[in-house]
Amino acid sequence: MRILIATVRVPFVYGGAEVHAVGLRQALVEAGHQAEIVAIPFKGYPPERILDQMLACRLLDLRETAGTPVDRLIGLKFPAYLIPHPRKVIWMIHQHRQAYDLWQHPLGDLHTYANGADVRMAIHAADAKLLPRSRGLFTVSRNIALRLRTYCGLNATPLYHPPRDAGRFYTRPAEDFLYFPSRINPLKRQYLVLEALARTRSQVRICFSGPAEPGLERQCAELARKGGVANRVRWLGAVSEEEKLDLYARSLGVLFPPLDEDYGYITLEAMLAQKPVITCTDSGGPLEFVVHRATGIVAEPTQESLASAMDDLWNDRERARQWGDAGRQRYSDLRIDWGNVIENLLQ
Amino acid sequence: MKILIATSGVPFIRGDAEILAEGLREAFSKAGHEAELVVIPFQPYAPDRIPDQILACRLLDLTETCGVRIDRVIGLTFPAYLIPHPNKVIWLLHQHRAAYELWDQPAADSLMHYPDGFVIREAIRQADRELIPEARAVYAPSQSVAERLRRYSGITSEPLYHPPANASLFHQGPAGDYFFCPGPVNSANRQWLATQAIAQCREPVRIRFAGEPGRLTGQARSADKLKGSDRIEWLGMLSEDQKRDLYANCLGVIFSPGDEDYGYVTLEAMLSAKPVIATADSGGPLEFILAERTGLVARPTPESLAEAMDTLWADRRRAAAVGEAGRAHYQDLHISWANVVEKLL
Amino acid sequence: MKINWFSPLLPARSGISRYAMQVLPVLAASHEVVIWTDQEQVAPEVHKIARVARYDPAAPPWREINNGAISFYHLGNQPDFHAGIWQVSARQPGIVVLHDLCLHDFFFTLSVRRGQDRAAYLNAMERWYGQEGCRSAEAFCAGGISAESMAQNFPLTREAARNALGAITHCGGALEELHETPACPAAALDFPYAAAGESRYRAWLAARDGMPHLPYRLVVFGYLNRNRRLGPLLEALAGLREREQFRLELCGQLWDESHIRHEIERLGLSSIVSLHGFLTEDEVEQKLSTAHLAINLRYPSMGEASLSELQFWDYGLPTLVTRTGWYASLPEDAVAFVRPESEVADLQSQLRAFLADPGAFRAMGERGRRLLKNHDPERYVDALTRFAAEALRLAPRISALALAQRIGSDLTEWLPAAASPYLLERASKEICTIFEGHRRG
Repeated sequence: MRILIATVRVPFVYGGAEVHAVGLRQALVEAGHQAEIVAIPFKGYPPERILDQMLACRLLDLRETAGTPVDRLIGLKFPAYLIPHPRKVIWMIHQHRQAYDLWQHPLGDLHTYANGADVRMAIHAADAKLLPRSRGLFTVSRNIALRLRTYCGLNATPLYHPPRDAGRFYTRPAEDFLYFPSRINPLKRQYLVLEALARTRSQVRICFSGPAEPGLERQCAELARKGGVANRVRWLGAVSEEEKLDLYARSLGVLFPPLDEDYGYITLEAMLAQKPVITCTDSGGPLEFVVHRATGIVAEPTQESLASAMDDLWNDRERARQWGDAGRQRYSDLRIDWGNVIENLLQ
Repeated sequence: MKILIATSGVPFIRGDAEILAEGLREAFSKAGHEAELVVIPFQPYAPDRIPDQILACRLLDLTETCGVRIDRVIGLTFPAYLIPHPNKVIWLLHQHRAAYELWDQPAADSLMHYPDGFVIREAIRQADRELIPEARAVYAPSQSVAERLRRYSGITSEPLYHPPANASLFHQGPAGDYFFCPGPVNSANRQWLATQAIAQCREPVRIRFAGEPGRLTGQARSADKLKGSDRIEWLGMLSEDQKRDLYANCLGVIFSPGDEDYGYVTLEAMLSAKPVIATADSGGPLEFILAERTGLVARPTPESLAEAMDTLWADRRRAAAVGEAGRAHYQDLHISWANVVEKLL
Repeated sequence: MKINWFSPLLPARSGISRYAMQVLPVLAASHEVVIWTDQEQVAPEVHKIARVARYDPAAPPWREINNGAISFYHLGNQPDFHAGIWQVSARQPGIVVLHDLCLHDFFFTLSVRRGQDRAAYLNAMERWYGQEGCRSAEAFCAGGISAESMAQNFPLTREAARNALGAITHCGGALEELHETPACPAAALDFPYAAAGESRYRAWLAARDGMPHLPYRLVVFGYLNRNRRLGPLLEALAGLREREQFRLELCGQLWDESHIRHEIERLGLSSIVSLHGFLTEDEVEQKLSTAHLAINLRYPSMGEASLSELQFWDYGLPTLVTRTGWYASLPEDAVAFVRPESEVADLQSQLRAFLADPGAFRAMGERGRRLLKNHDPERYVDALTRFAAEALRLAPRISALALAQRIGSDLTEWLPAAASPYLLERASKEICTIFEGHRRG
């Protein structure tokens, strides 16, 4: 089949969405299809620009090229998923969150504009009226599907996909540290983990890796020092792929308690490395994968609860190992592979 | 600087504009800038929807990203070069030629087949005429494109040449006993002129063609029966290395297309320090040839072409000198990515 | 300019065929013309003017047609003559020349009677006349409204110009009066007519002078149907004391011959009125050169110019016309008017005026003749081609409008009212900038 993947690019920004599109394309090509990525440049401010770009997408014509039909259009992000096509399938990485859960949220900014409310309505209307026209409506996670139902009354099916290089993860006997691999920012809540660490009864050690936003690394180091746990944490900064795989493999367990994460590749990476995961009840994406006290621990987002979770893992290595194995089994049971994705998107 | 290179792409078809765009991006990178490609999907085969796609480009905003300004946008092809930006420079690699000089050519996707084709043609011309001048500067890839732009749209542009792919890998070798005629074999490149010319040569001229004769037009097929056909060799598909070697070791290069826009072959020959035999109606290639000094310009007839071939075959010293002059001329023309970067910024 | 010409052609019995013979030679003298036809036969005289090419309305050869720079489509109310032309014009924008302005019957016949497809007709009625048009169209299809009434109220002129580059009529102000001003550029030109040479004209005058003055010969010409007002004319004559001073000749095919004969009998006009049927060219010349007054009444009229009126002027014949439509725009001193609301009385007063001062009427006829210089085919062709060139330069507006429609269609599906003003304005402004900007070729 000839398949186009429609997504959005913010110039000079390369992140998870780009990785996702590339991964999908590669999987399609490996499955024998012709697949290309169509990336529409997007600038989400001021709000009227969003309307312009929505219309621009509606004006594009991707039904065929050189007389040969494009068999399927897979829309990943707003507003590219509005591009019309008779055989469109949506696999939503993102709605325009500014108009949904980030509306009037400190991290949003659409509501700060005078015409923000009007544009929000237009985004809601476009999603509600145009998304159902696709042949299939999927999301990358249950979290997003729930939002679609809550805000737009639409039913979407979560369709999970593997993290990059899923095949390269491996496991080793656990050593004495927990691993927190995410990039360092307030949403990922390293600060909460540091505060919890100060309350653990055992000598839990943590390795943090990932680039930090400016100034944050110093803040975190300060927080560790104040809690008297500076000697039990290591800050590795940005690490290579090999180092990351190694850290996963040798860890006792993986810490990942972000605030309302959309998906959470880290959870899946941990499961692939056969390690238990500690996450929180308000972490969003990870909750779709972590089963409390079966593949890891879902703690309350409090210092005490997290501290208790870390102690539990630290003090029962055998159980931690069993939870890790169960996590790996769950990964397989959930059919988190590109084959499953393609089967669903192309049916 | 932060630079975006805007080009239109037809999905599943990799055009030479995209290859050039990537070359340009690399050149910007090497010069220390941050450059990215913006490829807008374009569907030229549903002409009645071309106005929609023009408008779509006009509605995009490339002025900044995440609060950081985009310093320059380079527009390369239609309709992406219509995306508005206060600091846009157009290097007009492709207009929608079906609306211009290809209007009445018998191509399958010709606008003439559509009842309202001329309306679409006028709409495209109007959009170009109106919006191209928004750019700070307009460059054309060759003099012939600049001339066409002036004639159809009244827009003045400056020719800005670029090197062929892998320019640095072309090299000069000793002149062998053959002329090289690069491909692809098609009616535009008029290989048949050379196959017929060889029958009229006085000298025992040999020609090696890239490609297979199967694609030749009817005239050339009968060349099998002509005198000299045993001195023609068809080399089939060539790798890039093989092609460069053939350039390097030939006596001269034959390039006789009808109305070519650019003419990489001429430049490749110059880079290999070999003389070019071109035809007077070839268009683009002639911009690089100084007649009699860096190449020979024949009339587009087998007789004239034969005479040119004989001249070089008989006087190897002259052939070598003309080839060297060609290489020197290439330098004089400042055909380099560095020059392109400088002009576009 | 390379011009594609689509019109009825001799021997087709349409006035437009004769119009074409006046215009084409002049056009072909300074432009490259291809004459397109779907007729079985085309007279040899036409072939002498320019190349004649055939087309199949179901599958026109667009490549060939696109060799021309612009197409002229001559439209009128008779589907036999104009159906094929209309079909081409609907797909390739060109200059539509509206020889009839009331085209309701044409579109109805084309889609409902011939095409067996009401949808096209109903869509057109709704498109231009909204819900009222839709309802009336349904009622008409069911047989509840008269054709005349439909024609008057819903002329569907704009349907003919829907996709046009430009529209030409031969009656100034007619489109506005009918409330059928099209979206495309429109112009009104004086209907072309090549006046006979002076020597021929003088021969006609001599022939007329050579006739006995009494009785005065009144003539009516053409296809004589109800809107030619024969009824009121006969009544007016019958009621005129001085009727014996006139002889009335009805020349042409009668719509209802037995009815007219009956009326003539009933009104006691048998010795005054004679029927002559369809005449040859020579017979027409004979009649016109020896007549004293032509009666050229039309009511109702939808703004069509009258070739016969120009022909009467050619002969220097004074005419009586109804003050309506195109005739209403004629100069007061070149025709004598009859008001539609008082036909019989006005006819009688004009006939009496004629008897009182035949010289004044003769002078009126001569003034008519002098007006023909405005109708010189050279002038006409010049104005027509200049209009066409300008309309061609404005061709991008067709793309702009089509695009705007597509956008409007799409946005109504999802854009809420609050955000509409911004986006509609943004899109409109941008479309104008792209396609109707200031840098013209």
